[in-house]
Formats: sequence, structure tokens, C-alpha cells
Amino acid sequence: MWLPLLGLILGISLGLLTEIQIPEIYESYLSIAVLAALDTLFGGIRAHLQHVYDDKVFVSGFFFNIGLAAALAFLGVHLGIDLYLAAIFAFGVRLFQNIAVIRRILLTKWSERKNQ
Amino acid sequence: MKKTKLLKVPSRGLITISMVSLVLGFILAYSYSISSDDTNKNANVSGFQEQEKYREKLVEQKERNKELNEEIIVKQQKVRDFEQSFVESEESVEDLVEEAELLRLLIGDIPSQGKGITVSLEDGAYDPSQENPNDYIVHESHVFKVINELKISGAEAISINGQRLHANSYIRCTGPVIVVDGKTFPAPFTIEAVGDPKVLLASVNLGGGVVDQLTSDNIVVTVGEKDLITMPALRDDDYS
Repeated sequence: MWLPLLGLILGISLGLLTEIQIPEIYESYLSIAVLAALDTLFGGIRAHLQHVYDDKVFVSGFFFNIGLAAALAFLGVHLGIDLYLAAIFAFGVRLFQNIAVIRRILLTKWSERKNQ
Repeated sequence: MKKTKLLKVPSRGLITISMVSLVLGFILAYSYSISSDDTNKNANVSGFQEQEKYREKLVEQKERNKELNEEIIVKQQKVRDFEQSFVESEESVEDLVEEAELLRLLIGDIPSQGKGITVSLEDGAYDPSQENPNDYIVHESHVFKVINELKISGAEAISINGQRLHANSYIRCTGPVIVVDGKTFPAPFTIEAVGDPKVLLASVNLGGGVVDQLTSDNIVVTVGEKDLITMPALRDDDYS
């Protein structure tokens, strides 16, 4: 149980210590990557609560979504279209949905426990 | 059960989740640090405030300078008074004092007042037959000629469009305007000189002299006598 937490702390410290500067046009990539990561994370939590969690789906979804979002943003920058907006929109909607589902599940669990 | 799991080699799922959380943490922290860098860049707003502060300081300093300059003028007046009293006591010092006075006028340390002449230089009227407008506008060389002539004829103090000249003055041509000690003046140029009007007028109006030369360069020269020309002492601000 401690290993993921350790990984998180290690990742945060690494990110804070990195001094690499990226050009301003590529900053949208990063924001999309953040969104994708958060989306997948909440998706994983939801799947876990719904007892349909699968390691492979989660991990592949995590990295694939990040990659896809970055690719979309890249394409958008080179085509002159703000394609990253599509990714932001999609991920934002899914993020809200996932959180809503998680909340409902937790609420039902809580009320069930209260009734018992 | 949990403890044994922790001590043993962790399961594959745990490792993958650790990897995922590592990447997540990295991305989050990295984007956070980048956005905080951006806010640092936006700190120019505070730089603006700093600028304002320095400006206030500058104004303060300038006011102080002004006060000190006024003090200098008062002190110099005292020195001159002393010298005047020397003149009364010792005849031989008189020449030296006069020379000192002249030098002071030259470097613009003391105000100058008295009779004098004005010479104004104006661009010639537009002449379609002249292809080159350079042939009928006033250049800084023309101003130089007038000033040199006036200095040679003993002008105590000279000003161009109100900017008094001192020993280290410079005049520069920058296109249609001239720069005198860092201040820009357009044509027409009015050159005022304090001195004996008779001598000054005679010297500029000399046959083949300055006025003739300028007139042949298609410049409208107006020479006039003035009963009272006042030129203030130069302050440090005026030196540039």
C-alpha cells in the first residue's frame, strides 16, 4: 500500500526539482496531460468501486490517454487549430462524470451502512 | 497478510499503480512549477511599482539638486561681491576679476543681461526649381557660422531658441531639426547674443560676412537689435 504513495511523492519531488523549461506553445500539451492523467485516475477509482477494475485497462488507459492528448495537441499546433480544446472538453466531461459516479456509489454505500 | 505482502516482493498490480502514481505526481508537480514560473514572470507588475518608487526618488533628488543649485548661485554672488570689494581696494586685481567674469559668462555660471542682437534663421521658401531641399533649409553649419561670428565679436552670452550655450555646448544636426545640448529645436532658429549691439551688428553684416553667406544659401536671415536680453544662469539640468 505504501509503494504507490512513495511513487507519488517521488514523482512530485522530481517534478518540482526539474528545471527544464519548455516553450510556451507546448504548455497546452502539459495541461492536457494533467487532465488525461486525472481523468484516468478517477476512472480507475470508479472502476474499482464498481468492481470492474482491471490493471491492464487502467495502466494502458493512463499512458495511452496522455499520449493521445499530447498527439492531438501537437496536431492542433501544427494545423493551426486549437485541437487541444477537444481533448480538454472530452476529458473535462469525463472527469465530472467519473467523480459524479464515485460520489453516488459512495453515497449509496454510506446510506446502506447507516441502514444496517 | 498485508504485512507479509509488503515485506515480500510486491505484486505486479501494485508496481504498475506505483508507476502510474509516479508519472501522475511528476506531471502534476511539473505543471505546477511551470505555472508558478509564469506567475513569476507576471511579477512585472511589482516591477512597475518599483519603477514608480525610483521615479519618486528621482524627483526628490532633482528637487534637492535645484535647492543646491540655488544655494550655489547665492554663494557665487557672494564671491563676486567679495571680488568687487577687492576691485575697490586694489586696482591691479580689476583685470583679473573682469576676466573671471567673462569666463563665468562663457561657461554659463551666472545670468547674463543686457543689450544685444537677435539673428533668426528661417528656411527659404519652397522653390520648385531647386530639386534638393537641402539647398534651402537651415543646417547646423549655418548656426555654427553665426555663433562663431558672434563669439569672435565679443558676445557675452549666446542662446539658441532660448537654450543658452556654454563652453561645452554641442550642436548636432539630426535631419530637419538640430540638437543643442540634448534638446531638440526645429527651424526657425533664433540666436540671441548679449553684447555691444553696434559691434555685433557690424560684424554679422560685414560685406561677404555671415549674413551674405547665409543669404546666398537661400536662408532668410533677420537681424535685429534688442535693448534687453536676459539669460538665466545654467543649472546642472541644462547640461546634458
